Amino acid sequence: MIYLGMIAPALCIYLFIVTYPVFYSIWLSFTDFNPNRGGNWNWIGLYQYKTMFQDPNFWHALKNNLIVVAVSVFGQIPIGFALAYILYRKLVRGANLFQTTVFLPHFLSTIVIGTMWKRLFQADGPISVLIQMISGDPTAQFDLMLYSETVMIPIGFALIWIYTGLYMIIFLANLQKINDNLIEVAKIDGASETQIFFRIIVPMLSGTILVSTVLAIAGSLRGFDLIFSITTQGLQRNNAMVLPIFMYQTAFQNYTNEMRFAYGAAISNAIVLISVILILFSNFISRKLQSGLEE
Amino acid sequence: MGREKTNKPNERIKTFAGRLISYSILITWTLITILPLFWMAYSSFKSNAELTKNIYSFPRDLFDNKMDEYFVIAPQLNVVPDYDTEVDKRERLIIESSTISPERRLMVHFLVKEDLPPEIASLKPGDILNVSQLPFDMRVRISRNTIFFNYISAFKRGGLVVKFFNSLLYAGVSTFFINFFGLMMAFALSKMQFRKLSYVIIGLVGLGYLISINSVIIPLFLMLTAVNLTDTHIGIILVYTAFGLPLAVMLESQFMKGLPDSLIESAYIDGASTFRAFTSIIVPMSVPVIVTVSIISALGIWNEFMLVLVLASSEITKSLPVGVFSFSSLTSTQLGWQLAALVIATAPAMIVYLIFQKRLAIGVVGGAVKG
Repeated sequence: MIYLGMIAPALCIYLFIVTYPVFYSIWLSFTDFNPNRGGNWNWIGLYQYKTMFQDPNFWHALKNNLIVVAVSVFGQIPIGFALAYILYRKLVRGANLFQTTVFLPHFLSTIVIGTMWKRLFQADGPISVLIQMISGDPTAQFDLMLYSETVMIPIGFALIWIYTGLYMIIFLANLQKINDNLIEVAKIDGASETQIFFRIIVPMLSGTILVSTVLAIAGSLRGFDLIFSITTQGLQRNNAMVLPIFMYQTAFQNYTNEMRFAYGAAISNAIVLISVILILFSNFISRKLQSGLEE
Repeated sequence: MGREKTNKPNERIKTFAGRLISYSILITWTLITILPLFWMAYSSFKSNAELTKNIYSFPRDLFDNKMDEYFVIAPQLNVVPDYDTEVDKRERLIIESSTISPERRLMVHFLVKEDLPPEIASLKPGDILNVSQLPFDMRVRISRNTIFFNYISAFKRGGLVVKFFNSLLYAGVSTFFINFFGLMMAFALSKMQFRKLSYVIIGLVGLGYLISINSVIIPLFLMLTAVNLTDTHIGIILVYTAFGLPLAVMLESQFMKGLPDSLIESAYIDGASTFRAFTSIIVPMSVPVIVTVSIISALGIWNEFMLVLVLASSEITKSLPVGVFSFSSLTSTQLGWQLAALVIATAPAMIVYLIFQKRLAIGVVGGAVKG
């Protein structure tokens, strides 16, 4: 009885507010539900998903989202790993200071960081001035934010700026678990630094690399705040549209769409589904790589 | 490791080069991280004129205010008093800065006439007044208001005071409930019978890691609309509490598993009830993990954006990130004010981070790896 009494409050809140919405969302995406129409609804099968696949905005947002995933997996993780490795090998003094600084952006409001970078990247902002000083051309401007082909470059940079510290901390914690004797023995056997790195460190951290990849994929697909705040409403935000922003605009801003909540739910579910697929895929790749190493 | 290094000169050069490269990489990355924040922080003390003239220069205008000149202006509709005109009926001399956003009625002071020397109190609109002519305590007040001009404007015009306290409320109350419910559940799961059932429940709650507020925001909105809890503090706190539980239950039950069972058994022998053993033995011993969970949860809630963006429609429920976002999206907002608003939203998180840095790193790694 006491057991139930202690578990029940937390479990009820959790089941009702975290678990139930997941099923609600799945149900919603197969209906034409609209709360403003008196709550009548019909099953309409895969209609919302069909609309989604025919919507050019969806593919545009998906493309941008995959760029964000790529930036996280191939930018944040390697840089984070490199920084962690340098700290781990104790090649520098003041490691604590570096660690504290690089990890800091992770704990600041992403909205604030996005707004800050928006100002930094402005046509007459600090980055433009910096380019003018370096190039000596007083008319030079930082204009990557303005074109749909290039808008993801500064955004990718800001994303790396925020999240690299997180992966650095995760890698560092796991590097410190490696037994030092292993490296000592390898050294005595005449292994070079590069050999130690690729033959010992990387294989031992393959699990951590996988966990980080999963985190990066899930995080980048649901990331909303940075791109929402770094862009200005309208054309720029549409250029840099990612799936969560597409979902938000569909459900909460596109009042002309009668089925906006159901359609939005379909997009949300697609986001979850895509992240599950990508995570399974990276799991598969890592298995392939590992069996390749063993041969 | 040190022995071989000193023997061969070749090795020594290699180590030196390695160190050099390591230092340059780390220093570069640290500068990349810190310089934008540094620019944001010091620029928030610059006047708009300074920001337009040179975006990199250090602030001077607002600090160098001892000899500022002011115009006396007539009361007008667009001059908003900073005191309650209903209560305070004393006559005021209204002055506006001639250097900081002149003619825009942004930098305005209201001086109580009875506190002024007669020759100043009798000045007419259009006359020029130097700050140095004023009585000492007024000079001090004006000087302070000038230095923090951007911050005062951000708080006032962005309505950030209410939002600041809302953010505190959301973070504080939700964190309390996260720990309150989380600890009870963690205790039952780790220190009581029904091991099998506990295992299932831990797995179920662990799945919560995969679900973020963003991915179920539409059903959450519809559910809270159905029970009329949108745009209320309670609704928002409820959601934050629920989504904070997985991390709390995971970290806290893991920690409690590490506490020896004999502690509780001896308490039972002494005649303590289960509840008693929980409140007076387990909870006090779990303080380290409670602190970790609290800081991670509170910082996450302090920075959360989408839930409040969707649920809060009136000014009294909005949180700081939403306030800062809409304030800085207004085209009429001066850049200096925007930067001040950004600093207002980041400074508390930054302070908490710097104090609890070590613990946060451990907690984040623990949470990440388990998920």
